[in-house]
Order: sequence, then structure tokens, then C-alpha cells
Amino acid sequence: MTATTQETRTILFKIKRQTEPNSAPFWEEYAVPYKENLNIISCLNWIAANPTTTSGVDSTPVAWDCNCLEEVCGACTMVINGRARQSCSALVDTLVKETGADTITLEPMSKFPLVRDLVVNRQRMFKELIRLKAWVPIDGTHALGGGPKESPEAQDTRYALSRCMTCGCCLEACPQFTIDNNFVGAQAISQARYFNMHKTGAVLADERMEELEGPGGITDCGNAQNCVKVCPKEIPLTESIAAIGRQATVHAIKSFFTGKK
Amino acid sequence: MSDTAAPLAATPTFLQKHHFLLRRLHSLSGIVPVGVFVMMHLFTNFQLMVGDYQHEVEFIHSLPALFIIEVTLWGSIGFHAALGLVYTFTGKANVDRYAYQDNWRYTLQRITGILALIFIFLHIATLRWRWGFFGWFTPFFVAGPDGTPLVSATTANALQHSKLVLILYIVGVASVVYHWCNGLWTAAISWGLTITVAAQKRWGYVCATLGLVLAIFSAGSIVGAMTYKVSDAERAAMQAAIERHEQGLAPIEKSSEH
Repeated sequence: MTATTQETRTILFKIKRQTEPNSAPFWEEYAVPYKENLNIISCLNWIAANPTTTSGVDSTPVAWDCNCLEEVCGACTMVINGRARQSCSALVDTLVKETGADTITLEPMSKFPLVRDLVVNRQRMFKELIRLKAWVPIDGTHALGGGPKESPEAQDTRYALSRCMTCGCCLEACPQFTIDNNFVGAQAISQARYFNMHKTGAVLADERMEELEGPGGITDCGNAQNCVKVCPKEIPLTESIAAIGRQATVHAIKSFFTGKK
Repeated sequence: MSDTAAPLAATPTFLQKHHFLLRRLHSLSGIVPVGVFVMMHLFTNFQLMVGDYQHEVEFIHSLPALFIIEVTLWGSIGFHAALGLVYTFTGKANVDRYAYQDNWRYTLQRITGILALIFIFLHIATLRWRWGFFGWFTPFFVAGPDGTPLVSATTANALQHSKLVLILYIVGVASVVYHWCNGLWTAAISWGLTITVAAQKRWGYVCATLGLVLAIFSAGSIVGAMTYKVSDAERAAMQAAIERHEQGLAPIEKSSEH
């Protein structure tokens, strides 16, 4: 390939846009000059500086969210070529190799309320974490001494779970999680397992299980197992779901025989 | 639009109040009694091809309190199906975007559930309750009024009646087998029996083998029913049994041969 053709090669971006949370979505196309090692964010940066569509219309810069640029914050998650992933770690060269075409489609995630263009409000996930008390309860009023002892095996398991960045990929791909139902979803279930495994966090295990046995809890999982396949941090989400399923079974049997209500 | 999940009403509905119990009973009812019954039923049918089918059916019909067993089964299937339908429509299939094998498995579980429900209803209504549907009235009798054994003949007659009925049986039985074996696999996750990916894979081989065996039994039964030649004597006995049924008399539950 000569230098000239490389300069003229462009990547066509088809972007689903929406000006207001409740306005009608529309599609725009932008041709971004190809360079090696482009990621989606750098293409969106180029579009922000050159917001002219392929049909020559002067448009507005496309809005998107991003923060860390190294796939640890989850803010730039969007639907790229039909699949939820981070736009910082989605590389143009890889995407082009996957589809064999110089065309990339960008859409906002569909399971969260839309703010503008590719920006969505991911607040629901954090509220689910609050609902499941996904924390270690320490009030800081007295010295607790050293932390609990942890075996290397438990540490391995818990480290994998700790990698969750609340990006929303697992929920976007989940057929049971919809924008208007109350399913807690894989990320929160996995965090409940994470904190139930912690010796101090386990103090709240019963409260977590009661919430998880309610509407929208663990039983609403349909075992489609899309979550684990789209998770960018390779968290064993289906194992977490099964582990919480077992805890729910045990908790429910215990409550049946010894519960007060 | 709210940034949180749908809020629960101040007074929870019956389904919300007993959410966990109903979900787990839905899972359990699919295994016991429905799934276990399906396995026995498919094994009994297989004897249409290789064993003494007449004897098997007469034995089942001679069971004490058969009516209670039947009502328990109809109730369990009804409970499992009613909740299953509610649960099916709480999800939204997305195999168009996420065409993973497991996602297909999930989607097929819901499709086969609905197909199985339609099939089981038509199957029980026509053969057991002896209802007539779309001119398809092929009642099942254990024996004719004169004691002629009719179990194989009336089963064969039902399936040979039309191509549509044959297709209904092939699709229906395949749906039942898939739904049962996949349900057994996912139930192990839901109850927390299989936790690791390796354990889920191992249990998957068990469920797949069970599915294959049941599929072979079912195929054998259908081949047996399709290749069975209904004799003139059996045809006459069937006609006599229908006339007796139309007169409102109880069907004969024992042949002269057994």
C-alpha cells in the first residue's frame, strides 16, 4: 500500500445521535481519516473538531463520556458494532479486522436513560449497589486492628470480582435486564458475592440475601450467560450468579425453619 | 425517565410478595413432578416399538388413585406454564446482537416452553379428554368393547391421521425434550448446585446425554407409531369403542389379552 492511499483511506462512522433525553434519535455519518492504532475516542475527538457529516452538513460535535482512557473506569462504554464495550480500548484496526469493512457503528447503551448522543446515565447501577449494601461496614469510631486473614485461594477469587468497574456491558447484553424493570443485574449480584466473601463484609450477608430474594433479585436471572461473555474485565459473573443462587437456597431454607417472619 | 430501577408499589402484589418462593417452586415443579413424569412417559412410549406397550398402558391405567396423579400433573404443568409465561415476557431476547450459543439456548428455552405448552394441551385434550379439534378426533382407547387391545392401534391412528398431526408431534416432543434437559441444566445453576464453569460444563454433558437418550426414545416411539399397521379387526374395534364412548359409557381399561 502506498503512502498516498493510506492518507486518503477513511473510516466511516455511523453514529446514532439524540439531542434531548426524549427527542427522536437520528443517524449521522462521518468519514475519519485512517491512522494506525486509532481508538474510538480519538476518532470521536477528530469528529468533535470536524463535525461535518459525509453529506457535507455542518453538524454539532457528538457528545460522549470518557475519563480514564485505560479501561478501568467504565465511563466511555457504548455499543460499538452492535456490542457493548469501552470506546477507549476498542481499537479501529481490531474492529476493521473483525468485520472486514472500514465502517464502524456507534450507539449509546440502550438499557440506561439517555442524556445526549452517546452519553447515558449509569446511576441505576450505583443505586443497585446501595440496594445490596455492597460495602464493608466500618463506622470508624474505634480501632479495628489488623484486617481478617485471607487465604491466597480466596484472594484469587475475590481479586477477580474486585475488578468490576460498573461499566454496564453485562447489563446492556442481558436479555433479562431492561430499562424499565427492577432486575439488579450481574454486576450487583457479583459485588454482593464479593462482599459476602469478605469476613467483615459478611456481617451484612443476611440483609443482602433478603434483598436478593425479593423481586428483581437473583431469581430473575435467565441464565443466558451473555454477561460473562461481554465483560471487559473477564469477571466470572456466571459463577457469581450461581454462588449467590446457592447462598439464596441455603438462606431461604434457614429462614423457613428459623426465621421470625 | 428515572435513573433507577422501576419502583415497587406500596402494597406488593401476590407475585412480588412471594417472589422467591414462586420462582423456586416454578423451577422445582419443572423437575418434580413434570420432568420426571416426562421421562417415564417417553420411556413407556418407546415400548410401542420394542416392548409390550399394551401391558404398560394397562398397568398405568390400573394404578390406584390415577385420577389424583393426573390432576397433580395437570396442576403442576398449569402452574409451571402460567408462571413460565409471566417470566418469559419479563425478558427481551437479543440473539440478533449477541448471537452466543448460550443466548440461543436461553431464547430456545422460552420458545420451546410455549411450543410444549400448546402441544401438551392438544395432546391431552384429544387423546385423554377425547375432545375433537379441527375435525381431528382420534380418541385413545385401551381396548375395544370386545376386549381387543387398542393401545398401539389408537396411538398409531392418531399420528397417522394427518401430516399436520405428525409434525405437531415431532415439533412438540422435541420441544419437550429440549425444554426439560436445558431446564435441568439451568436449574442446577439457579439452585446453586453447579457453581464453577467446569462444574456447569460437566453437568451440561449429563443433561445433553439425557436429552439424546430421550430424543432416541421419542424418535423410536414416533417411528413405531408411523410404521404400525392398523388391522381391519382393530379398526372395527376402534369404531365400536367410539360408538360406546358417544353413548356416554365408560371406556374399557383392560384387554382380553392381559
